[in-house]
Amino acid sequence: MAEKQLQSTIAAGAFQKEWFADLRRRVFDERQPYALLQADVPFELFDLLDFPAVSNQWWASLVAAKRQAPAYLDAMSAEGHHEGLCHYCSLGYASTKYRDVQEPPWGGLPTPRLLCARLTCDCIHRVFSLWAEAFGSELIEIDHPGASDLPPRWWELGRHRWRELVEPHRLEFVASTLKRLVERLEAIRGRQLEIDALRQRLERVNLQEEAFDATRHLIASSPETPVRMTEQISNVMATQWVRGTDWALSHARAFHDEVRQRVAAGIAACPGEKARLMWVGVGLWHDTDFYTAFEASHRAVFVWSMYLAFGPDGYIRYGLDDPMAALASRLASFNEYLHNPPWASEWIVQQARLHRINGALVLRPRSMKPAAAGRLFIEHALENAGIPVLPIEADVVDARAWDPKTARESVRSFLEKRVIA
Amino acid sequence: MTATPIAVLTAAFEESGIAAEPDARETERFVVLSWPSVPIEIVRAAGLAPILARGGLTATPTADAYLEPGIFPSRLRNLAEAALTGRLKNAARIIVPRTSDADYKFFLYLREFVRLGIAPTLPPVLLFDLLQSQGPDVRSYNAARLCDLLREFATVNNRKVTLDDVRHEIRRTNAARAAGRRLMALRHGIPRVTGSEVFPLLGAFWSVDPQVYATLAIAAADELAERPALAGPRVLLSGAPVDGTALHVAIEARGAVVVSEIGPWANGAAGSDVVCDGDPVTTLADRCCLETIGPRTPAEQLQRTTVDLLDNVDAVVVSLPTEDTAFGWDYPALRTLLLKKGIPHACLSSDSCGPLSAADEERLDLLLTGLPSRTEVRHG
Repeated sequence: MAEKQLQSTIAAGAFQKEWFADLRRRVFDERQPYALLQADVPFELFDLLDFPAVSNQWWASLVAAKRQAPAYLDAMSAEGHHEGLCHYCSLGYASTKYRDVQEPPWGGLPTPRLLCARLTCDCIHRVFSLWAEAFGSELIEIDHPGASDLPPRWWELGRHRWRELVEPHRLEFVASTLKRLVERLEAIRGRQLEIDALRQRLERVNLQEEAFDATRHLIASSPETPVRMTEQISNVMATQWVRGTDWALSHARAFHDEVRQRVAAGIAACPGEKARLMWVGVGLWHDTDFYTAFEASHRAVFVWSMYLAFGPDGYIRYGLDDPMAALASRLASFNEYLHNPPWASEWIVQQARLHRINGALVLRPRSMKPAAAGRLFIEHALENAGIPVLPIEADVVDARAWDPKTARESVRSFLEKRVIA
Repeated sequence: MTATPIAVLTAAFEESGIAAEPDARETERFVVLSWPSVPIEIVRAAGLAPILARGGLTATPTADAYLEPGIFPSRLRNLAEAALTGRLKNAARIIVPRTSDADYKFFLYLREFVRLGIAPTLPPVLLFDLLQSQGPDVRSYNAARLCDLLREFATVNNRKVTLDDVRHEIRRTNAARAAGRRLMALRHGIPRVTGSEVFPLLGAFWSVDPQVYATLAIAAADELAERPALAGPRVLLSGAPVDGTALHVAIEARGAVVVSEIGPWANGAAGSDVVCDGDPVTTLADRCCLETIGPRTPAEQLQRTTVDLLDNVDAVVVSLPTEDTAFGWDYPALRTLLLKKGIPHACLSSDSCGPLSAADEERLDLLLTGLPSRTEVRHG
């Protein structure tokens, strides 16, 4: 694994490990409840009701990074689940159901009091139902109404004009489902959510995302990128899972300050940078070294992924008179912004231009069908904007069919023929 | 020579998809549906005729530039091809129900085709955002979406559509359903008709005027009832719902008889009557939410449907094609259930619209050649 260049990255990794150890201690020793959540569920509501929450996607990325996914996925296939089913969303389930296959990372997930997921992709209801059954825990599902008004340049509306971004009937529906979620959490915890506390939390989320926004602009405008994409992700995601907390806000600012210092001192992630690359799609968790593999040979550095950029563009909501509605507006089209036309392609092109991207690697996910949808529009849009595209076919958590040598060779060839030439 | 009711209904089914030339329907305003999970009563109450997308073997070169492989079923690829080549220009509307994530993405794609100017003749594209979870807000949400759809349909012919119009269509469609049930009865117990033959007769329910359908289906059922019983082992098709007869043909070529399919095309056409004591729109939305079969149908509901059908079958074929995202999750539980009941099964991964892969051919051979024909039938 490439050495970490930022102190913030080391601190973020240490925080996550400590946080999880503390969670296990609280669950096992103090019998406190916790929740397992799909990444797009509003974690803030859980935290405000003293419900620590673990993200399914974070856990899957950890299992994959520890190279443990193949054994769990083999066990899942042996059970009769076909290979075309989504591995990213189900790896956490597999690590629970087939935990006898190997010891999961960091001692494994304790039994949650409940699981909660938004019904975005077709598989979510199935995966979370099976997972809840495997744990013997309660499952709360939040249905996902589909968007039919598609205002362009969503990232320009989201901050101040978020009510225009989501059709009124969808906003009302999502806000109502969130209220019901809160009612259930309140019943379990025996106390009420203070709406002012939610407003204050969302204001702190805004501050945190503003720090990320400033960091993004430093990266975009510096002659050479001061921070690798992988370290951006480590810092951002450690923070996002506990967004709006004291640690999160403080860490987002510390990350920004460290990046600013590097810019001021002229420190680059890859000195002599020749090519600025973007990664479009979910991270390749089982082979994160891939992202630094072209620095020494081609001075090609990954500058952009959705993880840092989506924080400020997707999360900031100003005008918090009705904080539940603001939260609902953030949730309502979360996945569509990232993957589907028109939103994903026009945002990614705008980001590519902002970051002076020379080449884009677009993930063609093997088993995540919803995330794979829309990528042809993205590829066409990038190419039409003059940004060369290399599609990379991979499963983001499953290394079984991944040939790192061939993949790196195809990138080298792409760099030489289309980017640096 | 006068065509028989069987021939008329079969032809209506074969010609009903978007593979047919929609220009021929210029005299009747029609709407294109991506899956039969839009209440057909609403369409007809507005004086419109439905055309439903179905899968097929036709190449889709224009659509392939935008629709990723392995995600969209054949019916949606066909529909995209028709959209991009101007074949849907005479449709009044294209309605994409939210039956699956693939349908929802497909709706967004169609809208993007229009925005990018690559499908300039496409009629307005609408999402029928039917939710299928059990949350307390879902019912009113679905009813409101169906009201919106009815209002939209009313604008096509510029006519007022009243709730009584909807009730009238419910009654007419119930008569068609009753006729469909007559056909389905010929598949229960000792079957009198093959799945390949009866599936189109049932599937025609979705495109033929209800009154005409009822008359023809009853006549077809009368004719089929006179046929000798079929002795082959009875097969249930489960997994991803099929919209054509390619799998039936493959199964029945091996001497078995497909007696049921979990999906809207046949079983859905011959479902129970819509009972409407109050607001017909809410009634139809509720029914659609509870009875639509697709990847977003809750697993427990699908399992209940399957259990109800197992008493009438000797084997189960589970279709889990490449684009499946949901039904494969149910398979281990289904396998346990089938083992418990002593019912053999096979899983197929080929596209249900086309020829089977060699591996699937082998799986079917293994499943069906070992099954005995039922002696009570052989003895008359």
